[in-house]
Amino acid sequence: MNKIIQEAIQHEAQLATRRHFLSSLGTGLGSLALGSFLTNCSSDSGASFASPLSAKSSPKLGKAKSVIFLHMAGAPSQLELFDYKPSLAKFDGKECPPELLAGKKFAFIRGVPNLLGPKAHFEQRGQAGHWISDYLPHLASQADRVSFLKGMHTDQFNHAPAQLLMHTGSARLGRPSMGSWVSYGLGSENQNLPGFVVLASGGKNPDAGKSAWGSGFLPSIYQGVQCRSEGEPILFIQNPAGINSDIRKASIETINQINQETYQEFGDPETVARIAQYEMAYKMQSSVPEVMDINKEPAYIHEMYGTEPGKESFANNCLLARKLVEQGVRFVQLFDWGWDTHGTGLDGSVDYGLHQKCRQVDKAATALLLDLEQRGLLDETLVVWGGEFGRTPMQENREGKKLAYFGRDHHTEAFTMWLAGGGIKPGVSYGETDDLGYSTISGKTSVYDLQATILQCLGFNHEEFTYPFQGRNFRLTDVFGKVIDPILA
Amino acid sequence: MILLDTEVIPDWILFFGHFHPMLVHLPIGMLLMGMILYVFSKKEEVQRQTSIAPILWTTGIMALISCAMGWCLSLAGEYEGDTLKIHQWLGICLALCSLALAYMTQHWSQDAFMSRFFKPGLLLAFILVMWTGHLGGNLTHGSDYLTNYLPQPWRGWLGIAPREQATEEKGIQPIRIKNLQEALIFQDLIQPTLKQKCWSCHNAEKQKGKLRMDSPEYLMKGGANGEIIQAGNPAESDLIKRVLLDPSHEDHMPPKGKVYLTEDEIVLLQWWVKEGAHFNKKIINIPYDARIKSILAKYTQVGNQQEAYISPVLKENIPAATDADIEKLRKHHLLVIALSKEKSFLEVNAINAKQIGDKELQDLDGIKEQLVSLKLGGTNISDALLQQISSYPRLVHLQIDHTKISRQGLSYLSSLKHLETLNLVANAIDDQAVLELAKLPTLRKVYLWQSKVSDQGIKMLQKKMPKLIIDQGWKGKWPLDTLNIPIKKPE
Repeated sequence: MNKIIQEAIQHEAQLATRRHFLSSLGTGLGSLALGSFLTNCSSDSGASFASPLSAKSSPKLGKAKSVIFLHMAGAPSQLELFDYKPSLAKFDGKECPPELLAGKKFAFIRGVPNLLGPKAHFEQRGQAGHWISDYLPHLASQADRVSFLKGMHTDQFNHAPAQLLMHTGSARLGRPSMGSWVSYGLGSENQNLPGFVVLASGGKNPDAGKSAWGSGFLPSIYQGVQCRSEGEPILFIQNPAGINSDIRKASIETINQINQETYQEFGDPETVARIAQYEMAYKMQSSVPEVMDINKEPAYIHEMYGTEPGKESFANNCLLARKLVEQGVRFVQLFDWGWDTHGTGLDGSVDYGLHQKCRQVDKAATALLLDLEQRGLLDETLVVWGGEFGRTPMQENREGKKLAYFGRDHHTEAFTMWLAGGGIKPGVSYGETDDLGYSTISGKTSVYDLQATILQCLGFNHEEFTYPFQGRNFRLTDVFGKVIDPILA
Repeated sequence: MILLDTEVIPDWILFFGHFHPMLVHLPIGMLLMGMILYVFSKKEEVQRQTSIAPILWTTGIMALISCAMGWCLSLAGEYEGDTLKIHQWLGICLALCSLALAYMTQHWSQDAFMSRFFKPGLLLAFILVMWTGHLGGNLTHGSDYLTNYLPQPWRGWLGIAPREQATEEKGIQPIRIKNLQEALIFQDLIQPTLKQKCWSCHNAEKQKGKLRMDSPEYLMKGGANGEIIQAGNPAESDLIKRVLLDPSHEDHMPPKGKVYLTEDEIVLLQWWVKEGAHFNKKIINIPYDARIKSILAKYTQVGNQQEAYISPVLKENIPAATDADIEKLRKHHLLVIALSKEKSFLEVNAINAKQIGDKELQDLDGIKEQLVSLKLGGTNISDALLQQISSYPRLVHLQIDHTKISRQGLSYLSSLKHLETLNLVANAIDDQAVLELAKLPTLRKVYLWQSKVSDQGIKMLQKKMPKLIIDQGWKGKWPLDTLNIPIKKPE
């Protein structure tokens, strides 16, 4: 008996860490948050929704209230889509000038590769005269709605770190993702849905994995909730056979009561997050099946997006993104896998595989813009489209050999992204690359600049939007980033 | 100054020199302390030799040290001109004056005749310290620093020109070219930029790096590192190299904390140097490419070009709604949220309360002054609610899609003074009803699909309100059918 008691005391001592003890001596913010939770859970009066996910105001007046980030995982080729380089066509098949290669590192290119001219047909579109290739005919018809950043650059030439950098502001693990920051700053307008939802298509999750929507050092209630677009949107969301909603509710309330006692004992703020997560999971049992069901959408909407209910597709995810934003979700992150066109196979070629990938997203992404517009949502929703880096103006020569198909290697020095909607001035093209599309000569913008700009649109100053961790204030853009004013409305 | 320009100044001299601005404040404070003690003490009570004398001795010695350090600082060559000379000699006078006063208190405070000179001496020291200090301030911050924010009536009395409104609001006034045919490249395009971004450290009073930029001659002469402009060769010109450096680089200009040049300004500067850095040529006589042309177009545009539109309502400052009124609405599960933390404008959203109706929404009256955006799509509201909100003074966005609004309801809206967007999707609105919208002159955008409005009705509304954007929804057909064309497989 004595032994058991001793073990319990020791266990308790292990749980009460120095940090929690010290922080509970301070303001005891955690207990305040918990208090507001419990009033929310236990009574139906709805007196106050002050949970960690309740909607919050931005510090400044922001044009956008939510963000849809369409990430083409694998990195689409800007040279086949937006960055038209007639000079590159002229030098097609010629050896790349050595001064462009000196001191540069590539993921696969070795030795001296040949230049590869654009494999798509380009035209100037809309009043703004943006160059958009015939790979994206639908987007081309709406060219005046979007603004381009043609001088994007990054410093990571492998997928996973580059994706992490794009979404968390660091190429290494452990930082909160952009969606988590936004969800932390703005909460969720809908009390039954999380603030940050992730949808993936293309058959695989992005290389960076779940860390691309992790909450890092932010409370874990702010991490992205990944929903599946095929089958049940969230696994085990339905009650198991024999358990009805009342029993589920009672058991969750009991678990939360125990958690609450645990919190009072140890003061770990993650317990608060856990309580909120159980609450949210219960609420999502009713809200998620409804919002994630695209079958009830009218036929013309399916025609517009090109959706195929029941399948996993980018189009389905675009429609879901619209539905989620309409329901008050703050950040919807779409990943579409399969844009890594090295030229090692037919599907990975810039003249065939890339064109096919474009057909899978072109109509749906354009429909998303139009659908948001007709619902009055485009004014307050920022849509971002792009990959984690760009592709080389040189044809890839993996292991120094000529590949069977036309492909391009990873390229960090120049790539194109487009933005549209809340806070963005439509029809602007910012940034320019040199005649070969190798590097940016004006309007150079970094991944941090993009992040700063997204936060700006939402009403945050990226330098002031911080979270204290390990003794210092952290921010999404670390110590970098400059808002890209020329594309802001 | 005393050392020859070619001579390199040792680091340690400059090291001590940089202590001057800090150290000068010590003698100033001490002198004032000595004066206060003198004025408020009575001869009988205080032994001046033991109290005031040590203070004044320290004042004098510190002042001497400050003078020496000031001299070190002046060797860097960043400051020149009459102001520096006067500041220097006044400072030396002040140091000597303090020492003299210290000697007087120490030895002559019992001497009835000599102590008569003490009060005038103190007054002199006071004038000296004020004058020297003011000139010192002018040297570091510029001569207009002190009076920069002087309010209007006093400005007139002092003969200072009134502050320009634009500079007050934005800090930097945009450069405008009135007549491109006549405009001179340097005077109208380059110099205004240099004036805004460079002159504060490179002028007649202050010459960082021994560089002045306030006239063509000084610009071509260069500074401590030689010439800054190689006409025709921007890549070799220090002026261009430095603005192009990464802002975190030590040599980047303007330095950290100052306003950097914009990309357009850098391009123009490069172009000017490349084309020969002319000072008297007209812009149209210099060859320019498409890039320059587009920048020039921006500079010649009249008025506030593409100024982002924001409702005048949102520029007001209004008192916040009371917590009790907001809490009443939250009890109905309405989301009540401020548009930003800066101001008290509110949005009310029924996203979590789709069952809500007119009765509960009567509580909106409590926040009518703050309510800017009202989202009631898909709720059970009726025309009566529109009558209720028709007196709300600041309503800008109204979303009442998927409700049962009729012509009667829309007619109430005509008393809204600031309504800009109106979402009427999926309401039983016909051609008669839609014309009620023409009574809303501030309306900018209306969403009108899934209604009973005919094309004829839309046309009539558009004719009455040509600027109104009428969103009729997606017409259910993609204009192009390219997806069925097979992609040619490469061999």
